[in-house]
Amino acid sequence: MINRFNNTNFHNPNNLSQLAQQNVNSNKVKISINGWQNATQNDVINFISRKTRIAVVDSYIDGQLVYGFVNNITQANNLLNYNGIRFAGNALKFNIINDQNGTGVGTTNNTIKLLTEFLYKRFNPQLKMLDLSALHQDPVLVSNGLFSSLSTQSKMFPALMKLAESESGKNPAFIIESINLSDNNLKDVNGLNSMALTFPTLKNLCLANNQISKFRSLENWKNKFKYLRELILTNNPITNDLSYKNEMLRLFPRLILLDNVYVRDETKLNSILNLPFYKKQFFWENDQLGQYATDFISNFLNLWDSNTRTQLLQLYTPQSQFSTSVDSSIPTSTTPNSDQDPSFGLYLPLSRNISKVSSSKSRLERLNVGLEQIEKAFRSLPKTKHFLLESPHNYSVESWGFAPGFIITLHGFYEEVGKPDLDRDLASNSNKSNNRNRRYNNNNNNNRLGKKAFDRVWLVIPQGNSVIVASDMLCVRAYVEGSWVKSPPSQTKVQPQQQPLQAQQPLQVQQPLQVQQPLQVQQPLQAQQPLQVQQPLQVQQPLQVQQPLQVQQSGAILTPPTSAGTNMSNASANNIINTSTTTTLQIPPEIKSKLNMQQLILVNKIHLETKLNVQYTLMLCEQSGWNYDVAIRGFQSSINNIPREAYGM
Amino acid sequence: MLHTSFNNPGSNNPGPNNNNDQSGFIELFVKKILLHLDETDQSKLNDFYLLFDHTSPNTKIIFNSQPFDNNHVIEFIKMWNTSIVTTQHVLTSLDYHIIPGLGFIICNVNGKVRFDESGNDRLGNNSVITTAQQPINNSLTSTTTVKKRPLWGPYFGVSLQIMLQERILNNDLNNVISGFNYSIVYQPKDSLLVEH
Repeated sequence: MINRFNNTNFHNPNNLSQLAQQNVNSNKVKISINGWQNATQNDVINFISRKTRIAVVDSYIDGQLVYGFVNNITQANNLLNYNGIRFAGNALKFNIINDQNGTGVGTTNNTIKLLTEFLYKRFNPQLKMLDLSALHQDPVLVSNGLFSSLSTQSKMFPALMKLAESESGKNPAFIIESINLSDNNLKDVNGLNSMALTFPTLKNLCLANNQISKFRSLENWKNKFKYLRELILTNNPITNDLSYKNEMLRLFPRLILLDNVYVRDETKLNSILNLPFYKKQFFWENDQLGQYATDFISNFLNLWDSNTRTQLLQLYTPQSQFSTSVDSSIPTSTTPNSDQDPSFGLYLPLSRNISKVSSSKSRLERLNVGLEQIEKAFRSLPKTKHFLLESPHNYSVESWGFAPGFIITLHGFYEEVGKPDLDRDLASNSNKSNNRNRRYNNNNNNNRLGKKAFDRVWLVIPQGNSVIVASDMLCVRAYVEGSWVKSPPSQTKVQPQQQPLQAQQPLQVQQPLQVQQPLQVQQPLQAQQPLQVQQPLQVQQPLQVQQPLQVQQSGAILTPPTSAGTNMSNASANNIINTSTTTTLQIPPEIKSKLNMQQLILVNKIHLETKLNVQYTLMLCEQSGWNYDVAIRGFQSSINNIPREAYGM
Repeated sequence: MLHTSFNNPGSNNPGPNNNNDQSGFIELFVKKILLHLDETDQSKLNDFYLLFDHTSPNTKIIFNSQPFDNNHVIEFIKMWNTSIVTTQHVLTSLDYHIIPGLGFIICNVNGKVRFDESGNDRLGNNSVITTAQQPINNSLTSTTTVKKRPLWGPYFGVSLQIMLQERILNNDLNNVISGFNYSIVYQPKDSLLVEH
């Protein structure tokens, strides 16, 4: 049995047909047919043979069903594809009957089990290699008739690829970087097209000792195996072609080794095709600026999302500027989670995108200067929710000192949760916009609420004991996953304590908290200079009358950073203003140093919501497992039992 | 550390409320910067360098969260020219504020960029090892004379913040870029240049 497909026998046609007949007999698969009842048994068998080109033999009726046999499992599976085919006014239903009498493999389940076992037998976890060489000589496959003819062989590879794909989904150790397909009598790779889908990042591929002779068959792999490093095609006719090497270089852009010869300089290739730095989630010039930016953003967005967005106006002055621009370009469709049909109707009347808005008048009108105009603009933007706390990995921040202040850039996304308070379309210039709406008549579709990506830039300037926002620019664009997001987040809820994915990130954030103390002690107040000498803005102190609630809520925002350094090395010496005592929530440094950024944001947010003091806020956070919703629910349910000393300092 | 230009706001300071619309000029300048980023002609590098305020230690350059500060303008341009393949930028959004009294213009720019995925670097060199037996007759292996056409990959998203000195409005383009923060904000998975 084992040797019957060795090479000498394989090429002998007499032996072949004889052996094939044996296989056919031993591999018949029992099937059942339902829904045939409007005609005779003969009619339905003939119909199936006509329609599907599959012969059902030895059929008999038992109760509601017709039973019969087909030649092998492949035919049976093909037959299943015809489920629902119309016959005599009914839909036919085919089933494979689990064969109990042990005549062979016979059932789909058994075949899958057998092939899966085979995959694992041929898989080497150390080398991450799947060895699919010389399949027709494999005793298991041959004895089970799975390699009886060329047609089953061509179906074998897609089946194996499908299984390998589902297996790599189930088993994290099932990683394949190399595939060996040598000695398979392959004339082309058409049967292997699915391999490119299953293993798009395959690094090594061996196709030695096959009959591949034409480039055309490999052409299907162009732009598919972008990470293929090594290819072996020795003992294939194709290697004799003069343009062989150039063609392979063209098909596989990262091919380094072809038939054990170096064809590309790997170092040079990597320097060409790899960006020197991929975008990191955070950049800040120094640690204090980093912590400040984090505080600023979380407090700002907290108010921006709330019903009292206009409270933020405390940060703006009569000379502050705010504007919105719409980037309506559609992200490349192969970018993860990209919105291919964004709607910007709510923003377009405000958009100051210079590259799209050509009228000078509109450009000037859409720049909002001073509290009144900025307030109007704020209220003309949709109500939003940012997810800084729930999915911090979706946000990226750069923060750098600039002259008398600093610049904070935030990239991320938000959800639109409500229409704007002010309808800009109706409020201003109703005549023109009405015309436009009448003309296009798709107002509803344009004003859909959804997720948006954005880039927002603040120019923040310390002013006395607080800060002002001199400039605030928001660019709204179609939702898309950020380039800094390393792997798709598997859990929707972020749990700060156990987050392997974000392990590096708290490190960056924790650092500033620990060094903050020594910095203040060691560095005397040297540099008030930039702040005092420069009084460039004739700023009126923002709204002095503040209710306690507002003071507390905006306290953290209003606090200037301890350093707005102008360069990395001596940033801390520049202007240490000891303002850390004025932050909203005074967390003792020894506790603070143990918290990561998400936890800090959570503590701040819980504190703002509950007004609990540090000790109780921390207690609440810890007891709720650092989950915001749980914490708030816990707070609300026990609100009557909380002692008075839990509030205030 | 102060910029000299702070104390010298210029006689015809436009200011944000000025009816003079400077937008067109700023848009042109931003497009000029993008063209410089796409430039493959080595003789134009110095022109790009001269746009930056390379004499000031406070000029800030950040590329994908990687700082090139302390006046390392030249490092940035070198990195861009040697480590990044030929690019093609498209401006998709531009907004700007003239900050009164500070003498600066802050620009918020969005755009798309695609990269040459042919395997050639900005100078037209590739990594293919040529042997004596195989004559160089294919465009893939030839390194000289023939101008190579780039094979553009899919578009990436770009967010760029630029700080310009206000004197640019007086048509003074020398050393006017004081801050430059370039980030790739989205990347298509089918690009050759994406990390796996």
